[in-house]
Parts: sequence; C-alpha cells; structure tokens
Amino acid sequence: MTPTEKQSKLKCMRCGHEYTTSDDLIKVERACPKCRSNSVRRVGEKK
Amino acid sequence: MKDVGRHPRIKLMTLSEVEDVSGYVGNFNVKVRRKARYVREADCTACGECATVCPVNKYNEYEVGLATRNAIYIPFPQSIPSSYVINMADCLSKDVITCNKCVEKCQKRCIDFDMRDEIVELKVGAVVVATGMDVYDPTRLDEYGYTRFQNVVTSLELERLINAGGPTGGHLVRPGDTKAPKRIGFIQCVGSRSHNRGNPYCSNICCMVTIKNSLLIKEHYPDTEITVFYIDIRAFGKGFEDLYERSKREGVRYVRGLPEHIEEDPSTGSLRLKVENTTAGCIEEHELDMVVLAVGLEARKDGDKIRHLLSLSQTSDGFLAESHPKLMPVDAPTRGVFLAGCVESPKDIKDSVTQASAAAARAGVILSSDKIKLDAAIAVVDKEKCTFCELCVQVCPYSAISASKQNKIAAHVTEAMCAGCGSCAAECAFGAISLRHFEDAQYMAQIEAALAENPQDTAIVFACNWCSYAAADLTGTSRLQYPPNIRIIRTMCSARVNEKFVMQAFKLGAPVVLVSGCHLADCHYMAANRSTVKRMDRLWSRLERLGIRPERLQLEWMSAAEGQKFARVMAELDERRSKVTPEEIEQTRKALEAADKKKVA
Ligand SMILES: Cc1cc2nc3c(=O)[nH]c(=O)nc-3n(C[C@H](O)[C@H](O)[C@H](O)COP(=O)(O)OP(=O)(O)OC[C@H]3O[C@@H](n4cnc5c(N)ncnc54)[C@H](O)[C@@H]3O)c2cc1C
Ligand SMILES: [Zn+2]
Repeated sequence: MTPTEKQSKLKCMRCGHEYTTSDDLIKVERACPKCRSNSVRRVGEKK
Repeated sequence: MKDVGRHPRIKLMTLSEVEDVSGYVGNFNVKVRRKARYVREADCTACGECATVCPVNKYNEYEVGLATRNAIYIPFPQSIPSSYVINMADCLSKDVITCNKCVEKCQKRCIDFDMRDEIVELKVGAVVVATGMDVYDPTRLDEYGYTRFQNVVTSLELERLINAGGPTGGHLVRPGDTKAPKRIGFIQCVGSRSHNRGNPYCSNICCMVTIKNSLLIKEHYPDTEITVFYIDIRAFGKGFEDLYERSKREGVRYVRGLPEHIEEDPSTGSLRLKVENTTAGCIEEHELDMVVLAVGLEARKDGDKIRHLLSLSQTSDGFLAESHPKLMPVDAPTRGVFLAGCVESPKDIKDSVTQASAAAARAGVILSSDKIKLDAAIAVVDKEKCTFCELCVQVCPYSAISASKQNKIAAHVTEAMCAGCGSCAAECAFGAISLRHFEDAQYMAQIEAALAENPQDTAIVFACNWCSYAAADLTGTSRLQYPPNIRIIRTMCSARVNEKFVMQAFKLGAPVVLVSGCHLADCHYMAANRSTVKRMDRLWSRLERLGIRPERLQLEWMSAAEGQKFARVMAELDERRSKVTPEEIEQTRKALEAADKKKVA
C-alpha cells in the first residue's frame, strides 16, 4: 500500500514489518502492529 | 457558595473567564474577562419583575431544556450573586434598543445596556483549576432513541425532574405526557466502558447516582417498579454497598445485561426493550414507561483553552494529568498550579471536595512562604555558548526558557518554571544548556565506564527515572531474570538522552543501545518524551547515512508496573546484541571517527 496524503510510512526496527498509518506520529504512541515494539521508525518523506 | 460569596478574603468573579496567564509559581499574572451582566448587581434585588415582561423564551441551560427562561433571568435559584443577568445573544435589544420592556419595568433602574466586558488583571501566587467536566451526550447512540423518544431521558434530566426546585416542583412525570411513570428502567454505563460507544473508562459516579435516584423514587412513589440494567455495579465507596443493598430491599430489580436497543409504542409513548439477563441466562422483554440513561462523564470540550494557558497536560482519557498519581495527586505538572474535582477525573462530590481541600492546602503552602524550595536539578545556560537558535525554547514543555534569534538574546531559564526534564540540554547542539547534576560530562563518563571492558558483550540502556528505571526496579524486586550484561544509565526523562550519548556508545563499541521512557501519554514532564520520538527518528536516519544498521538502536516505552515487559525487552536486546559481529562494531567505530574528523575539518 502506498501512503496517501495523510498517511505516513513506518518500519519496525525490531521485526522489520513495514506499514502505513494516519495517526499523528508524535502524539500517538507508535507500536508495531505485528510485534508491539515501540522501535518504530518513520521512513520516506515527512508528511 | 453563599459562604464563599460572603468571605472577606475571597473575591468571587462570576460570569468571568480567564483570558491569559503569564508568569510562574508565586508570580502569576492573570487576565480575566468580566463579562457584561447588563444588570447592576449591587442594585438588583432579584424581585423578578423584569422577567415577567420579557417576551423572549429560550432553552433553560440549568433545567437541561426541561423548562425555558427569558433573555433576562437568574441562572438558578441559589445563584451567587443573587442578581439577574441579560443574555445579550437572546435579547431583542442587542443591536438597537427595540424592546426595552425590562428597563421600563425595573423600579430600581438597574438595567444598563451600555455595560461592556471588562478586563481585570490579577497577581496571584497559585492557581487551582476546578473547571469540571461535561456529561456524555447519548444522542450519538441512536439505538436508545434519546431525543427521538420523549420518555428516554438522561440521568441529568432525571435529577431536575425529581428535584423540589426543578421544573415540576419535584413531581416525577415523564416528559412525553406529564403522566407519573409506573415502570422505570435505568440503563447503566451509557457512554462509559466501551471502546466504540463512548469512552473506554468507568465514569465512577453513575452506579451510585442510579442507586441514589432509585431510592429517592421509591421513597416518594413506593409502587414504582424500577429495573436497573447493568454490566456490574461498582459501589466501592464508604457506605455505598449499604445503599445498594437497601435499594434491593426496597424492591429495585437489578438485571445484569445491557439492552441492545429501545423501541417506542407511539400510541402510548411506552418503551420496549429486550435484554439478555446474563445471570439467569435468558432473554427478557421489558415494557417501561420511562427509561433513564445513566450517562458518563467526559472531559470538557472547551477545556483546551485553560490547558494551553497553564501549560497542562492531559491523560489519554482527556482529563487533566496530575504531576504524580501517588506522590503529587493534586499538583499539576506546572509548578504552582493545582487540580480539583472532575477536571482531573470523574468523581463524586465527596472526592471532589477532598481533592479541592488538598489543592487549597497545597496552594496555601506556596502562599504562606516568602521563598519556595526548588529541586536542584534544573537547566542552566552558558550564555557565552548560546547561538540564540531557540531550539531549547521549542522543546521546553514548561515554556520555562526564553531567547530571541531576532534580537540576539541568549537563552534564559526561569528557574521556578523548570522541572528538570533536560530536553533543552539534549537538544542544544552547542552545549550551551546543561541540567544540573545530570550533565553531559557525567553521562559521557558513565557510558565510558560501562563500555570500558568487553564492550562487545554489553548492551547500553538509557532508562527514565519515573517509569522505565522503576520498571527495572520492579523486575528486580519481582525476582524476574534479565541478562547481567545490560548496563542501565538513568536519566530523569528519556528526552534528556542527547544524540551524542548514543553515538558515543556506538563509538566505544556498544553493539546495541536502547532508549526507554514512560509511555507517551504518561510522561512525567508533560509531553517531553515527544522530543525523544523526534530525536529517535533523527538518530535512525543518521545511523543509516553513516552505514550503521539503525536496528541496533531500539526504543521502548514502559510504565513502572511493566517489570515483565522490562525483562522481556532486555532478553531480546541481549539476543540482538549477540548477533552484532566484532567486524560490524569495528566498522561502526571507523565510520563514526571518520564523521568526527570530517566535522573538525
Ligand atoms: C447526573 C449526575 C448526577 C450526579 N449526582 C451526584 C450525587 O448525587 N452525589 C455526588 O456526590 N455526585 C454526583 N454527581 C457528580 C458531581 O456532579 C461532581 O462530582 C461534581 O459536580 C464535580 O464538581 P467540580 O467542581 O469538579 O465540577 P463542576 O460541578 O462541573 O463545576 C465546574 C464549574 O466550573 C465552571 N467552568 C468551567 N470552565 C470554566 C472556565 N474556563 N472559567 C470559569 N469557570 C469555568 C463550570 O461552569 C462549572 O460551574 C453527579 C453527576 C451527574 C452528571
Ligand atoms: Zn515489529
């Protein structure tokens, strides 16, 4: 899935899972949907 | 309220709103807008003659719409001051004086259309925020037919319907046909304890409000059949269980199960509902004359203004966050500001008053002393090194720092406002701000010591004082095992972790580094850990640019109660560490040294 205007692309630094979200990346706690790790990094362009 | 109004040392400002707050503990400057009342309160005797001639009829807010009021009115019978007020938005004379009936009627001549809002400036030492809550609006839950069916009311509306001072003089009638209801159903947890139908938390008061009202109704109308539909009854306060038992003895029936939806018989206005009684394991059908929705409490929709003015933070439920749930339960994170009542969390009057008394006592401590004691760990600026970049100003969650790029004014920390999170010290690229007792040199020395021997076998963990370090403690006291080669470095907040600490650890041969702190919404320093999030994104990108695997840097949020999570994260971190080869560590060291050389050149 390609990130839309409001979506950000994230990558888990623990399990490598990549996903997109429309959450506010600073206000909402990031947690990998696959492994629940918080080591989730924003990848790609800043939206 | 009367006592407050009469107290010689309390200035009660009704119809007023705080517009601006500046300053700090002991020295707040508050701007208050005193809204025009259009009635001189000193002269008004509240005779009510004016209202008898006012032609306007509007929704009565106090009676939650069960009655109307005029444009000139007294908000509720015990209002302080006991004076009428004109709601200019409703008054026919708002643009040009066209009606003037009230002016003509008022013998005391106290109506004045020329009154204007006034701005009053106050100097105060402490602030108590007690702005209360909103009540959940069940119109959103279409299945219960609130506003579609006249005889479905909220618990707030019921309060007015059974109040002797209410629109019916305390005679319980149903709104549809003003007949006395013989069969009443209460539905609990409306807007509470649900992730998709309102709020996930328990609103604390609704069970007892229903029990109280069921007893009141039984006392005045013993023949009324009352059924309460509930998930579970939470009667945990002093004497509450007794009240619950008493209501059962009085014949109130409690059915465990919430109805899916309500139907109305349009010819009679009666309501039908089906419910799964989970105690009896059967489906029950009920026909009722009136249904009361026990609505929950939620944070005020207009609460953001006060929150921003006083630099306060919210918990995930939207209510204001206290400084520490156990040790400073009535202190707000901003020093000199205290919380009381439902603005902090849903609670009943007793708990609100208890909290208000505590808040007043805490404020009294500040007011009664000439000097206040501050924690020594606060930010200090080396003005020589400051480049006026204002980055520290931007990351300070307490607005404790001022600086000006435009006017080349170096950073200045208002010590009484600084809480000591260290975000500023971590953000400053020029070493111009440090956090007393938690200085860069101290951290660099700790990192060096931790990696002095066998760095390839060591994992570096930065843990914040309040949550993740406490989680480590809990792991220990719970006798949970975690690898012995983890080296924990305590910071007050995760936001204190400077990028250079992480880089230094990698340079000295650390295979992996973990930054940890309080869960995002639970930061002890309001939202300082949001700086950590931004910094981690920057660090991961920087590592990648330098050819260092970003996965070697990990981030975890954990609460003081998550000892098990701490142990699990440490075990995984060590597992990750064991996979980093000596060659990779050497390559990292070289890459970082080359980057340093480039910077110097
Ligand atoms: C239906 C219902 C029944 C209840 N029954 C009971 C009961 O029987 N017993 C019991 O113990 N508790 C009961 N409660 C709970 C009780 O109402 C609360 O505990 C109590 O009102 C909390 O007091 P508070 O001062 O925190 O907030 P509030 O009572 O909400 O008072 C806050 C005040 O601040 C004002 N305000 C808000 N924002 C601003 C601003 N920016 N500037 C100036 N003023 C502002 C508001 O207008 C309001 O007057 C009931 C609640 C409900 C909804
Ligand atoms: Zn993952």
